[in-house]
Amino acid sequence: MAAPTVILDNGAYHVKIGLASDKDPRHIPNCISKSKSERRKQFIGNQIEDCRDLSALYYMLPFQKGYLVNWDVQRQVWDYMFGKELLGLECPDTTAVVTEPYFNFSSIQEAMNEIFFEEYQFKALLRINAGTLSAHKRKSENPEHRCCLIVDSGYSFTHIAPYYNSQKVAEAIFRVNVGGKLLTNHLKEIISYRQLHVMDETYVMNQVKEDVCYVSSQFYKDMEIAKLKGKENTVCREYVLPDFHTVKRGFVKEDGSKQKPNEQIVRMNNERFAVPEILFHPSDISIQEKGISEAIVHSISATPKEMHPHLYRNIVLTGGNCAFPGVKERVEKDVRSLAPVEYDVQVTLPPNPVTYAWEGGKTMTESKEFSKLTVSKKQYEEEGQNICFDKFDV
Amino acid sequence: MVTCPLSTSYTHCVDLDRVVCGWYWCEIMKMPAKEQTRESGRQKELAQRRVLDSFTRAKRLRRQLEALEQDNFQEDPHANLVLLKKKLPQFDSNEDTPTTKKRKKRGDHFKQRFRKTFHMLVEEEQLSMNEPPNYLTCCMPHSPAPQRKFCAVCGFPSNYTCVACGARYCCTKCLGTHLDTRCLKWTA
Repeated sequence: MAAPTVILDNGAYHVKIGLASDKDPRHIPNCISKSKSERRKQFIGNQIEDCRDLSALYYMLPFQKGYLVNWDVQRQVWDYMFGKELLGLECPDTTAVVTEPYFNFSSIQEAMNEIFFEEYQFKALLRINAGTLSAHKRKSENPEHRCCLIVDSGYSFTHIAPYYNSQKVAEAIFRVNVGGKLLTNHLKEIISYRQLHVMDETYVMNQVKEDVCYVSSQFYKDMEIAKLKGKENTVCREYVLPDFHTVKRGFVKEDGSKQKPNEQIVRMNNERFAVPEILFHPSDISIQEKGISEAIVHSISATPKEMHPHLYRNIVLTGGNCAFPGVKERVEKDVRSLAPVEYDVQVTLPPNPVTYAWEGGKTMTESKEFSKLTVSKKQYEEEGQNICFDKFDV
Repeated sequence: MVTCPLSTSYTHCVDLDRVVCGWYWCEIMKMPAKEQTRESGRQKELAQRRVLDSFTRAKRLRRQLEALEQDNFQEDPHANLVLLKKKLPQFDSNEDTPTTKKRKKRGDHFKQRFRKTFHMLVEEEQLSMNEPPNYLTCCMPHSPAPQRKFCAVCGFPSNYTCVACGARYCCTKCLGTHLDTRCLKWTA
Protein backbone atom coordinates (compact mmCIF):
# COMPACT_ATOMS: atom_id res chain seq x y z
CA MET A 1 0.00 0.00 0.00
CA ALA A 2 1.24 3.46 -0.86
CA ALA A 3 2.21 5.78 1.94
CA PRO A 4 -0.73 7.79 3.22
CA THR A 5 -0.95 11.50 2.49
CA VAL A 6 -2.68 13.91 4.80
CA ILE A 7 -4.10 17.14 3.43
CA LEU A 8 -4.31 19.94 5.93
CA ASP A 9 -6.04 23.09 4.80
CA ASN A 10 -5.00 25.13 7.78
CA GLY A 11 -7.59 27.88 7.90
CA ALA A 12 -7.62 30.58 10.53
CA TYR A 13 -11.11 29.58 11.63
CA HIS A 14 -11.60 25.99 10.52
CA VAL A 15 -9.01 23.39 9.66
CA LYS A 16 -10.08 21.13 6.84
CA ILE A 17 -8.17 17.91 7.35
CA GLY A 18 -8.35 14.44 5.91
CA LEU A 19 -6.33 11.70 4.30
CA ALA A 20 -6.10 11.76 0.52
CA SER A 21 -8.07 8.50 0.55
CA ASP A 22 -10.98 10.12 2.39
CA LYS A 23 -13.95 11.36 0.45
CA ASP A 24 -14.52 14.49 2.47
CA PRO A 25 -12.38 16.36 4.97
CA ARG A 26 -13.26 16.92 8.57
CA HIS A 27 -13.94 20.43 9.74
CA ILE A 28 -12.16 21.21 12.96
CA PRO A 29 -12.36 24.66 14.56
CA ASN A 30 -8.79 25.92 14.69
CA CYS A 31 -8.89 27.18 18.24
CA ILE A 32 -8.91 26.31 21.88
CA SER A 33 -12.08 27.45 23.53
CA LYS A 34 -13.06 27.94 27.11
CA SER A 35 -16.57 27.85 28.40
CA LYS A 36 -18.05 29.70 31.32
CA SER A 37 -19.82 26.62 32.60
CA GLU A 38 -16.95 24.13 32.46
CA ARG A 39 -14.39 25.81 34.58
CA ARG A 40 -11.81 23.09 34.55
CA LYS A 41 -11.59 22.16 30.95
CA GLN A 42 -10.29 23.62 27.75
CA PHE A 43 -11.74 22.42 24.50
CA ILE A 44 -9.34 21.80 21.65
CA GLY A 45 -10.78 21.98 18.17
CA ASN A 46 -14.01 20.05 17.77
CA GLN A 47 -14.04 18.86 21.39
CA ILE A 48 -16.30 21.86 21.84
CA GLU A 49 -19.08 19.71 20.43
CA ASP A 50 -19.19 17.99 23.81
CA CYS A 51 -19.77 21.25 25.59
CA ARG A 52 -23.38 21.91 26.40
CA ASP A 53 -23.31 25.58 27.24
CA LEU A 54 -21.80 27.53 24.39
CA SER A 55 -22.73 30.96 25.65
CA ALA A 56 -19.91 33.48 26.11
CA LEU A 57 -17.35 31.12 24.63
CA TYR A 58 -13.80 32.38 24.98
CA TYR A 59 -11.53 31.76 22.03
CA MET A 60 -7.80 31.31 21.81
CA LEU A 61 -6.89 31.51 18.15
CA PRO A 62 -3.55 30.60 16.60
CA PHE A 63 -3.99 33.08 13.78
CA GLN A 64 -3.88 36.84 13.90
CA LYS A 65 -4.89 38.82 10.84
CA GLY A 66 -4.59 35.62 8.82
CA TYR A 67 -1.05 34.69 9.83
CA LEU A 68 0.09 32.07 12.27
CA VAL A 69 1.50 33.74 15.36
CA ASN A 70 0.26 31.81 18.34
CA TRP A 71 2.26 28.62 17.96
CA ASP A 72 1.40 27.16 21.36
CA VAL A 73 -2.27 27.03 20.48
CA GLN A 74 -1.63 25.78 16.96
CA ARG A 75 0.59 22.98 18.21
CA GLN A 76 -2.04 21.79 20.65
CA VAL A 77 -4.64 21.69 17.89
CA TRP A 78 -2.28 19.85 15.57
CA ASP A 79 -1.26 17.40 18.29
CA TYR A 80 -4.91 16.68 18.89
CA MET A 81 -5.72 16.24 15.21
CA PHE A 82 -2.77 14.04 14.32
CA GLY A 83 -3.16 12.04 17.52
CA LYS A 84 -5.14 8.94 18.32
CA GLU A 85 -8.31 10.78 19.10
CA LEU A 86 -8.82 11.95 15.57
CA LEU A 87 -6.70 10.71 12.69
CA GLY A 88 -4.11 8.58 14.43
CA LEU A 89 -1.36 9.45 11.97
CA GLU A 90 1.95 7.68 11.86
CA CYS A 91 3.78 10.85 10.96
CA PRO A 92 7.12 9.28 9.88
CA ASP A 93 5.27 7.30 7.19
CA THR A 94 3.01 10.11 6.07
CA THR A 95 3.32 12.84 3.49
CA ALA A 96 1.72 16.13 4.45
CA VAL A 97 0.18 18.82 2.28
CA VAL A 98 -0.26 22.01 4.29
CA THR A 99 -1.79 25.26 3.12
CA GLU A 100 -0.54 28.72 3.91
CA PRO A 101 -1.76 32.23 3.24
CA TYR A 102 -0.34 34.22 0.33
CA PHE A 103 2.86 36.13 1.02
CA ASN A 104 3.44 34.26 4.23
CA PHE A 105 6.21 35.81 6.33
CA SER A 106 9.49 33.98 5.99
CA SER A 107 9.95 33.37 9.70
CA ILE A 108 6.59 31.62 9.79
CA GLN A 109 7.64 29.51 6.84
CA GLU A 110 10.83 28.50 8.62
CA ALA A 111 8.91 27.58 11.72
CA MET A 112 6.51 25.48 9.66
CA ASN A 113 9.34 23.50 8.08
CA GLU A 114 10.94 22.96 11.41
CA ILE A 115 7.79 21.74 13.09
CA PHE A 116 6.73 19.42 10.33
CA PHE A 117 10.13 17.84 9.75
CA GLU A 118 11.79 17.99 13.14
CA GLU A 119 8.94 17.73 15.59
CA TYR A 120 6.33 15.67 13.81
CA GLN A 121 8.93 14.03 11.54
CA PHE A 122 6.77 13.78 8.49
CA LYS A 123 8.17 11.74 5.63
CA ALA A 124 7.65 14.49 3.09
CA LEU A 125 6.04 17.88 3.02
CA LEU A 126 4.37 20.19 0.56
CA ARG A 127 3.51 23.69 1.68
CA ILE A 128 1.27 25.49 -0.74
CA ASN A 129 -1.28 28.30 -1.00
CA ALA A 130 -4.86 27.18 -0.62
CA GLY A 131 -5.70 29.13 -3.77
CA THR A 132 -3.17 27.12 -5.77
CA LEU A 133 -4.95 23.94 -4.75
CA SER A 134 -8.26 25.46 -5.83
CA ALA A 135 -6.76 26.48 -9.16
CA HIS A 136 -5.44 22.97 -9.60
CA LYS A 137 -8.85 21.53 -8.91
CA ARG A 138 -10.45 23.91 -11.36
CA LYS A 139 -7.90 23.01 -14.02
CA SER A 140 -8.49 19.32 -13.55
CA GLU A 141 -12.25 19.81 -13.92
CA ASN A 142 -12.05 22.15 -16.89
CA PRO A 143 -8.78 21.49 -18.71
CA GLU A 144 -9.81 23.74 -21.61
CA HIS A 145 -9.42 26.86 -19.43
CA ARG A 146 -5.82 27.92 -19.10
CA CYS A 147 -6.37 30.88 -16.81
CA CYS A 148 -8.49 31.14 -13.75
CA LEU A 149 -9.07 33.75 -11.11
CA ILE A 150 -9.45 32.44 -7.57
CA VAL A 151 -11.35 34.54 -5.07
CA ASP A 152 -10.58 33.15 -1.62
CA SER A 153 -12.66 34.87 1.01
CA GLY A 154 -11.87 33.48 4.42
CA TYR A 155 -12.00 34.32 8.07
CA SER A 156 -9.29 36.98 8.15
CA PHE A 157 -9.24 38.47 4.69
CA THR A 158 -10.06 37.97 1.04
CA HIS A 159 -7.47 37.31 -1.62
CA ILE A 160 -7.91 37.71 -5.37
CA ALA A 161 -5.37 35.59 -7.21
CA PRO A 162 -5.08 35.05 -10.96
CA TYR A 163 -3.56 31.79 -12.18
CA TYR A 164 -2.09 30.79 -15.49
CA ASN A 165 -1.67 27.04 -16.04
CA SER A 166 -2.00 26.56 -12.27
CA GLN A 167 0.86 29.01 -11.74
CA LYS A 168 -0.02 32.09 -9.79
CA VAL A 169 0.59 35.53 -11.20
CA ALA A 170 2.14 36.92 -8.04
CA GLU A 171 2.22 40.60 -8.98
CA ALA A 172 -1.53 40.56 -9.57
CA ILE A 173 -2.54 39.04 -6.25
CA PHE A 174 -4.41 41.47 -4.05
CA ARG A 175 -5.82 41.40 -0.58
CA VAL A 176 -9.03 42.94 0.69
CA ASN A 177 -8.88 43.23 4.47
CA VAL A 178 -12.41 42.01 5.01
CA GLY A 179 -13.13 38.52 6.22
CA GLY A 180 -15.68 36.53 8.17
CA LYS A 181 -14.30 37.58 11.51
CA LEU A 182 -14.80 41.24 10.77
CA LEU A 183 -18.34 40.58 9.57
CA THR A 184 -19.26 38.66 12.72
CA ASN A 185 -17.73 41.31 14.95
CA HIS A 186 -19.52 44.04 13.08
CA LEU A 187 -22.82 42.20 13.38
CA LYS A 188 -22.22 41.76 17.09
CA GLU A 189 -21.48 45.43 17.44
CA ILE A 190 -24.58 46.72 15.67
CA ILE A 191 -26.93 44.22 17.33
CA SER A 192 -25.49 45.14 20.72
CA TYR A 193 -26.12 48.81 20.03
CA ARG A 194 -29.56 48.45 18.49
CA GLN A 195 -31.14 45.55 20.36
CA LEU A 196 -29.47 43.49 23.03
CA HIS A 197 -25.98 43.03 24.33
CA VAL A 198 -24.31 40.18 22.49
CA MET A 199 -20.69 41.32 22.45
CA ASP A 200 -19.58 38.18 24.30
CA GLU A 201 -21.52 35.79 22.11
CA THR A 202 -19.17 35.36 19.18
CA TYR A 203 -20.16 31.74 18.65
CA VAL A 204 -23.88 32.41 18.67
CA MET A 205 -23.69 35.51 16.50
CA ASN A 206 -21.56 33.68 13.98
CA GLN A 207 -24.37 31.16 13.69
CA VAL A 208 -26.87 33.97 13.27
CA LYS A 209 -24.72 35.38 10.50
CA GLU A 210 -24.46 32.03 8.74
CA ASP A 211 -28.18 31.34 9.11
CA VAL A 212 -29.81 34.57 7.99
CA CYS A 213 -27.34 36.87 6.23
CA TYR A 214 -27.33 37.09 2.47
CA VAL A 215 -25.75 39.16 -0.26
CA SER A 216 -28.19 41.48 -1.95
CA SER A 217 -28.08 42.17 -5.67
CA GLN A 218 -30.40 45.16 -5.31
CA PHE A 219 -29.04 46.84 -2.24
CA TYR A 220 -31.03 50.09 -2.11
CA LYS A 221 -34.24 48.34 -3.11
CA ASP A 222 -33.82 45.89 -0.26
CA MET A 223 -33.24 48.87 2.02
CA GLU A 224 -36.62 50.25 0.95
CA ILE A 225 -38.28 46.89 1.59
CA ALA A 226 -36.64 46.68 5.01
CA LYS A 227 -38.23 50.01 5.92
CA LEU A 228 -41.75 48.71 5.36
CA LYS A 229 -43.88 47.47 8.21
CA GLY A 230 -45.71 44.22 8.76
CA LYS A 231 -46.22 41.67 6.04
CA GLU A 232 -44.81 43.86 3.28
CA ASN A 233 -41.37 43.65 4.82
CA THR A 234 -40.11 40.44 3.27
CA VAL A 235 -36.54 40.98 4.48
CA CYS A 236 -37.06 40.94 8.21
CA ARG A 237 -36.52 37.71 10.14
CA GLU A 238 -36.93 37.02 13.79
CA TYR A 239 -34.16 34.82 15.09
CA VAL A 240 -34.57 32.89 18.31
CA LEU A 241 -31.32 32.81 20.24
CA PRO A 242 -30.33 29.57 21.96
CA ASP A 243 -30.44 29.53 25.75
CA PHE A 244 -28.68 26.12 25.90
CA HIS A 245 -31.39 24.61 28.06
CA THR A 246 -34.48 24.27 25.94
CA VAL A 247 -33.06 25.69 22.72
CA LYS A 248 -29.70 24.17 21.79
CA ARG A 249 -29.28 25.97 18.53
CA GLY A 250 -30.77 29.22 17.32
CA PHE A 251 -33.30 29.21 14.50
CA VAL A 252 -35.45 31.53 12.44
CA LYS A 253 -38.89 32.02 13.88
CA GLU A 254 -41.67 31.06 11.56
CA ASP A 255 -44.12 33.72 10.49
CA GLY A 256 -47.02 34.27 12.81
CA SER A 257 -45.93 31.93 15.57
CA LYS A 258 -46.33 33.42 19.02
CA GLN A 259 -43.43 34.40 21.17
CA LYS A 260 -42.94 31.91 23.93
CA PRO A 261 -42.00 33.08 27.38
CA ASN A 262 -38.25 33.24 28.08
CA GLU A 263 -37.49 33.29 24.41
CA GLN A 264 -34.87 35.80 23.35
CA ILE A 265 -35.31 37.18 19.90
CA VAL A 266 -33.06 39.18 17.65
CA ARG A 267 -34.80 41.04 14.87
CA MET A 268 -32.64 40.82 11.79
CA ASN A 269 -33.77 43.45 9.34
CA ASN A 270 -31.35 45.46 7.21
CA GLU A 271 -28.52 43.74 9.10
CA ARG A 272 -29.22 40.66 7.02
CA PHE A 273 -27.72 42.13 3.87
CA ALA A 274 -25.87 45.20 5.17
CA VAL A 275 -23.31 43.02 6.96
CA PRO A 276 -22.14 40.91 4.00
CA GLU A 277 -22.29 44.09 1.92
CA ILE A 278 -19.02 45.11 3.59
CA LEU A 279 -17.30 42.52 1.39
CA PHE A 280 -18.33 44.52 -1.63
CA HIS A 281 -18.11 48.00 -0.09
CA PRO A 282 -15.58 48.04 2.74
CA SER A 283 -15.98 51.82 2.73
CA ASP A 284 -19.43 51.37 4.30
CA ILE A 285 -17.65 50.97 7.63
CA SER A 286 -14.87 53.36 6.59
CA ILE A 287 -12.30 50.79 5.53
CA GLN A 288 -10.95 52.70 2.58
CA GLU A 289 -10.40 49.84 0.18
CA LYS A 290 -11.96 48.46 -2.94
CA GLY A 291 -14.52 45.73 -2.47
CA ILE A 292 -14.37 42.22 -3.95
CA SER A 293 -15.87 43.09 -7.33
CA GLU A 294 -13.66 46.11 -7.87
CA ALA A 295 -10.69 44.09 -6.62
CA ILE A 296 -11.35 41.42 -9.23
CA VAL A 297 -11.22 44.01 -11.99
CA HIS A 298 -8.17 45.63 -10.40
CA SER A 299 -6.35 42.33 -10.18
CA ILE A 300 -7.16 41.33 -13.75
CA SER A 301 -5.95 44.67 -15.04
CA ALA A 302 -2.58 43.98 -13.40
CA THR A 303 -2.06 40.85 -15.53
CA PRO A 304 -0.80 40.79 -19.14
CA LYS A 305 -3.51 41.93 -21.52
CA GLU A 306 -3.71 38.59 -23.34
CA MET A 307 -4.99 36.93 -20.18
CA HIS A 308 -7.85 39.33 -19.50
CA PRO A 309 -10.61 37.64 -21.53
CA HIS A 310 -9.67 34.23 -20.13
CA LEU A 311 -9.64 35.40 -16.55
CA TYR A 312 -13.00 37.15 -16.84
CA ARG A 313 -14.40 33.93 -18.21
CA ASN A 314 -13.20 31.82 -15.32
CA ILE A 315 -13.76 33.40 -11.93
CA VAL A 316 -13.99 30.86 -9.11
CA LEU A 317 -15.36 31.76 -5.68
CA THR A 318 -13.97 29.85 -2.71
CA GLY A 319 -13.83 30.28 1.05
CA GLY A 320 -16.44 30.47 3.76
CA ASN A 321 -17.81 33.91 2.86
CA CYS A 322 -18.81 32.64 -0.56
CA ALA A 323 -21.35 30.43 1.17
CA PHE A 324 -23.62 33.46 1.69
CA PRO A 325 -26.63 33.09 -0.59
CA GLY A 326 -26.46 35.45 -3.54
CA VAL A 327 -22.69 35.96 -3.68
CA LYS A 328 -22.36 34.50 -7.14
CA GLU A 329 -25.13 36.62 -8.66
CA ARG A 330 -23.75 39.74 -7.03
CA VAL A 331 -20.17 39.20 -8.21
CA GLU A 332 -21.43 38.40 -11.68
CA LYS A 333 -23.56 41.53 -11.80
CA ASP A 334 -20.87 43.85 -10.42
CA VAL A 335 -18.01 42.51 -12.51
CA ARG A 336 -20.18 42.56 -15.61
CA SER A 337 -20.91 46.24 -15.10
CA LEU A 338 -17.22 47.05 -14.50
CA ALA A 339 -15.59 44.83 -17.13
CA PRO A 340 -15.06 45.89 -20.75
CA VAL A 341 -18.12 45.01 -22.79
CA GLU A 342 -16.34 42.71 -25.23
CA TYR A 343 -15.33 40.21 -22.54
CA ASP A 344 -17.47 37.36 -21.32
CA VAL A 345 -17.93 37.24 -17.57
CA GLN A 346 -18.48 33.87 -15.97
CA VAL A 347 -18.48 33.23 -12.26
CA THR A 348 -18.39 29.74 -10.80
CA LEU A 349 -19.38 28.82 -7.29
CA PRO A 350 -18.31 25.28 -6.42
CA PRO A 351 -20.87 23.13 -4.60
CA ASN A 352 -18.84 23.48 -1.42
CA PRO A 353 -16.68 26.61 -1.51
CA VAL A 354 -15.20 25.84 1.92
CA THR A 355 -13.69 22.47 1.05
CA TYR A 356 -12.77 23.31 -2.55
CA ALA A 357 -9.10 23.85 -1.75
CA TRP A 358 -8.97 20.60 0.21
CA GLU A 359 -10.48 18.74 -2.72
CA GLY A 360 -7.86 20.39 -4.91
CA GLY A 361 -5.21 18.98 -2.61
CA LYS A 362 -6.77 15.58 -3.02
CA THR A 363 -6.61 15.73 -6.81
CA MET A 364 -3.09 17.08 -6.64
CA THR A 365 -1.87 14.10 -4.61
CA GLU A 366 -3.31 11.84 -7.28
CA SER A 367 -1.38 13.53 -10.08
CA LYS A 368 1.90 12.20 -11.40
CA GLU A 369 3.95 15.26 -10.61
CA PHE A 370 2.99 15.26 -6.96
CA SER A 371 6.14 13.58 -5.72
CA LYS A 372 8.26 16.15 -7.55
CA LEU A 373 6.61 18.98 -5.66
CA THR A 374 7.28 17.69 -2.18
CA VAL A 375 10.40 17.96 -0.09
CA SER A 376 11.33 14.76 1.69
CA LYS A 377 12.70 14.60 5.17
CA LYS A 378 15.99 13.36 3.80
CA GLN A 379 16.32 16.35 1.52
CA TYR A 380 15.50 18.65 4.38
CA GLU A 381 18.14 17.06 6.55
CA GLU A 382 20.75 17.48 3.85
CA GLU A 383 19.95 20.93 2.58
CA GLY A 384 17.96 22.52 5.37
CA GLN A 385 15.61 25.44 5.02
CA ASN A 386 16.94 26.52 1.63
CA ILE A 387 15.46 23.68 -0.34
CA CYS A 388 12.07 24.46 1.13
CA PHE A 389 12.31 28.11 0.11
CA ASP A 390 13.36 27.08 -3.39
CA LYS A 391 10.75 24.44 -3.89
CA PHE A 392 7.66 25.75 -2.18
CA ASP A 393 6.12 28.60 -4.05
CA VAL A 394 4.20 30.45 -1.36
CA MET B 1 -34.83 93.99 48.80
CA VAL B 2 -32.55 95.83 46.40
CA THR B 3 -33.29 97.38 43.08
CA CYS B 4 -30.91 96.79 40.31
CA PRO B 5 -29.43 100.10 39.19
CA LEU B 6 -29.02 99.08 35.59
CA SER B 7 -32.34 97.53 34.91
CA THR B 8 -35.78 98.31 36.12
CA SER B 9 -36.56 94.83 37.27
CA TYR B 10 -36.74 94.11 40.99
CA THR B 11 -34.65 91.42 42.48
CA HIS B 12 -35.40 89.59 45.64
CA CYS B 13 -32.17 89.03 47.46
CA VAL B 14 -28.46 89.68 47.42
CA ASP B 15 -26.21 86.76 47.96
CA LEU B 16 -22.60 87.36 47.21
CA ASP B 17 -21.47 83.77 47.51
CA ARG B 18 -23.83 82.37 45.00
CA VAL B 19 -24.86 84.35 42.00
CA VAL B 20 -28.54 84.18 42.46
CA CYS B 21 -29.77 87.63 41.89
CA GLY B 22 -29.94 89.45 38.64
CA TRP B 23 -28.69 92.63 40.17
CA TYR B 24 -25.34 91.25 41.22
CA TRP B 25 -25.00 89.63 37.84
CA CYS B 26 -25.68 92.97 36.14
CA GLU B 27 -23.05 94.62 38.26
CA ILE B 28 -20.37 92.28 37.10
CA MET B 29 -21.28 92.15 33.49
CA LYS B 30 -22.12 95.82 33.18
CA MET B 31 -24.88 94.78 30.92
CA PRO B 32 -28.57 95.38 30.94
CA ALA B 33 -30.14 92.71 33.08
CA LYS B 34 -32.99 92.18 30.70
CA GLU B 35 -30.85 90.49 28.13
CA GLN B 36 -29.19 88.34 30.71
CA THR B 37 -32.30 86.98 32.26
CA ARG B 38 -33.66 85.90 28.92
CA GLU B 39 -32.16 82.47 28.75
CA SER B 40 -32.41 80.13 25.85
CA GLY B 41 -32.10 76.45 26.69
CA ARG B 42 -31.13 75.68 23.17
CA GLN B 43 -28.26 78.16 23.14
CA LYS B 44 -27.07 77.03 26.53
CA GLU B 45 -26.91 73.47 25.31
CA LEU B 46 -25.13 74.51 22.15
CA ALA B 47 -22.48 76.34 24.10
CA GLN B 48 -21.78 73.26 26.18
CA ARG B 49 -21.41 70.99 23.22
CA ARG B 50 -17.93 70.33 21.97
CA VAL B 51 -17.20 69.81 18.31
CA LEU B 52 -14.61 67.16 17.63
CA ASP B 53 -11.76 68.04 15.32
CA SER B 54 -10.84 65.80 12.43
CA PHE B 55 -7.89 64.30 14.30
CA THR B 56 -10.06 63.04 17.15
CA ARG B 57 -12.61 61.76 14.69
CA ALA B 58 -9.94 59.77 12.88
CA LYS B 59 -8.73 58.41 16.20
CA ARG B 60 -12.20 57.25 17.15
CA LEU B 61 -12.66 55.62 13.79
CA ARG B 62 -9.37 53.79 14.09
CA ARG B 63 -10.34 52.48 17.48
CA GLN B 64 -13.64 51.24 16.11
CA LEU B 65 -11.92 49.37 13.31
CA GLU B 66 -9.38 47.87 15.67
CA ALA B 67 -12.21 46.57 17.82
CA LEU B 68 -13.49 44.64 14.82
CA GLU B 69 -10.27 42.58 14.84
CA GLN B 70 -10.62 41.50 18.44
CA ASP B 71 -10.98 37.79 19.23
CA ASN B 72 -12.86 38.16 22.48
CA PHE B 73 -14.67 40.97 24.18
CA GLN B 74 -15.10 39.28 27.51
CA GLU B 75 -12.53 38.34 30.10
CA ASP B 76 -10.94 34.94 30.09
CA PRO B 77 -13.37 32.85 32.18
CA HIS B 78 -10.47 30.79 33.52
CA ALA B 79 -8.26 33.77 34.26
CA ASN B 80 -8.41 33.41 38.01
CA LEU B 81 -8.12 29.65 38.04
CA VAL B 82 -4.39 29.49 37.44
CA LEU B 83 -3.54 28.19 40.90
CA LEU B 84 -6.25 25.62 40.79
CA LYS B 85 -5.05 24.23 37.50
CA LYS B 86 -1.82 22.84 38.88
CA LYS B 87 -3.58 20.57 41.32
CA LEU B 88 -5.73 19.01 38.66
CA PRO B 89 -4.76 15.63 37.25
CA GLN B 90 -3.63 15.89 33.66
CA PHE B 91 -5.78 13.99 31.22
CA ASP B 92 -3.10 11.80 29.75
CA SER B 93 -0.60 11.91 32.57
CA ASN B 94 -0.35 8.15 32.96
CA GLU B 95 -0.33 7.37 29.26
CA ASP B 96 2.73 8.96 27.78
CA THR B 97 4.58 11.04 30.28
CA PRO B 98 7.90 10.95 28.43
CA THR B 99 6.54 12.48 25.22
CA THR B 100 4.81 15.33 26.96
CA LYS B 101 8.03 16.09 28.77
CA LYS B 102 9.94 16.10 25.53
CA ARG B 103 7.39 18.34 23.87
CA LYS B 104 7.59 20.84 26.64
CA LYS B 105 11.32 21.14 26.20
CA ARG B 106 10.98 21.66 22.49
CA GLY B 107 8.22 24.15 23.03
CA ASP B 108 10.44 26.32 25.17
CA HIS B 109 13.11 26.56 22.55
CA PHE B 110 10.41 27.25 20.03
CA LYS B 111 8.86 30.04 21.99
CA GLN B 112 12.07 31.99 22.04
CA ARG B 113 12.77 31.73 18.36
CA PHE B 114 9.40 32.09 16.80
CA ARG B 115 7.40 34.04 19.27
CA LYS B 116 6.58 37.08 17.24
CA THR B 117 3.51 39.21 17.21
CA PHE B 118 1.84 40.14 13.99
CA HIS B 119 3.14 43.64 14.37
CA MET B 120 6.71 42.40 14.64
CA LEU B 121 6.30 40.27 11.54
CA VAL B 122 5.10 43.23 9.51
CA GLU B 123 8.01 45.33 10.75
CA GLU B 124 10.41 42.60 9.83
CA GLU B 125 8.89 42.49 6.37
CA GLN B 126 9.33 46.23 6.02
CA LEU B 127 13.00 45.99 6.91
CA SER B 128 13.77 42.88 4.92
CA MET B 129 13.54 44.64 1.54
CA ASN B 130 11.87 41.61 0.01
CA GLU B 131 11.09 42.30 -3.57
CA PRO B 132 7.50 43.21 -4.20
CA PRO B 133 4.97 41.64 -4.38
CA ASN B 134 4.80 40.95 -0.67
CA TYR B 135 2.37 41.37 2.20
CA LEU B 136 2.73 45.13 2.19
CA THR B 137 2.30 45.74 -1.50
CA CYS B 138 -0.69 43.52 -2.19
CA CYS B 139 -3.29 45.57 -0.33
CA MET B 140 -6.07 47.31 -2.19
CA PRO B 141 -6.10 51.02 -2.99
CA HIS B 142 -9.05 53.32 -2.27
CA SER B 143 -12.21 52.76 -4.18
CA PRO B 144 -12.84 55.47 -6.75
CA ALA B 145 -16.55 55.44 -5.89
CA PRO B 146 -17.67 57.90 -3.18
CA GLN B 147 -18.32 56.48 0.25
CA ARG B 148 -21.92 55.55 0.90
CA LYS B 149 -23.55 56.87 4.04
CA PHE B 150 -25.62 54.99 6.55
CA CYS B 151 -27.31 56.00 9.74
CA ALA B 152 -25.15 55.10 12.71
CA VAL B 153 -28.25 54.21 14.70
CA CYS B 154 -30.57 52.26 12.43
CA GLY B 155 -28.38 51.40 9.43
CA PHE B 156 -30.60 52.85 6.75
CA PRO B 157 -29.26 55.33 4.18
CA SER B 158 -28.72 58.67 5.86
CA ASN B 159 -28.68 62.28 4.74
CA TYR B 160 -27.43 64.16 7.78
CA THR B 161 -24.25 64.44 9.79
CA CYS B 162 -23.99 65.02 13.51
CA VAL B 163 -22.30 68.39 13.96
CA ALA B 164 -20.36 67.37 17.02
CA CYS B 165 -18.85 64.03 16.12
CA GLY B 166 -19.45 63.52 12.41
CA ALA B 167 -21.60 60.40 12.77
CA ARG B 168 -24.40 59.97 10.27
CA TYR B 169 -28.09 59.93 11.10
CA CYS B 170 -31.29 59.70 9.12
CA CYS B 171 -34.02 61.34 11.19
CA THR B 172 -34.52 63.35 14.35
CA LYS B 173 -35.48 60.23 16.23
CA CYS B 174 -32.16 58.60 15.41
CA LEU B 175 -30.34 61.84 16.19
CA GLY B 176 -31.93 61.81 19.64
CA THR B 177 -30.79 58.26 20.25
CA HIS B 178 -27.34 59.11 18.98
CA LEU B 179 -26.99 62.15 21.23
CA ASP B 180 -28.18 60.17 24.24
CA THR B 181 -25.88 57.25 23.70
CA ARG B 182 -22.81 57.55 21.57
CA CYS B 183 -22.13 61.13 20.61
CA LEU B 184 -18.98 62.33 22.35
CA LYS B 185 -18.84 59.31 24.58
CA TRP B 186 -15.61 57.36 24.82
CA THR B 187 -13.62 60.30 23.59
CA ALA B 188 -11.01 60.15 26.32
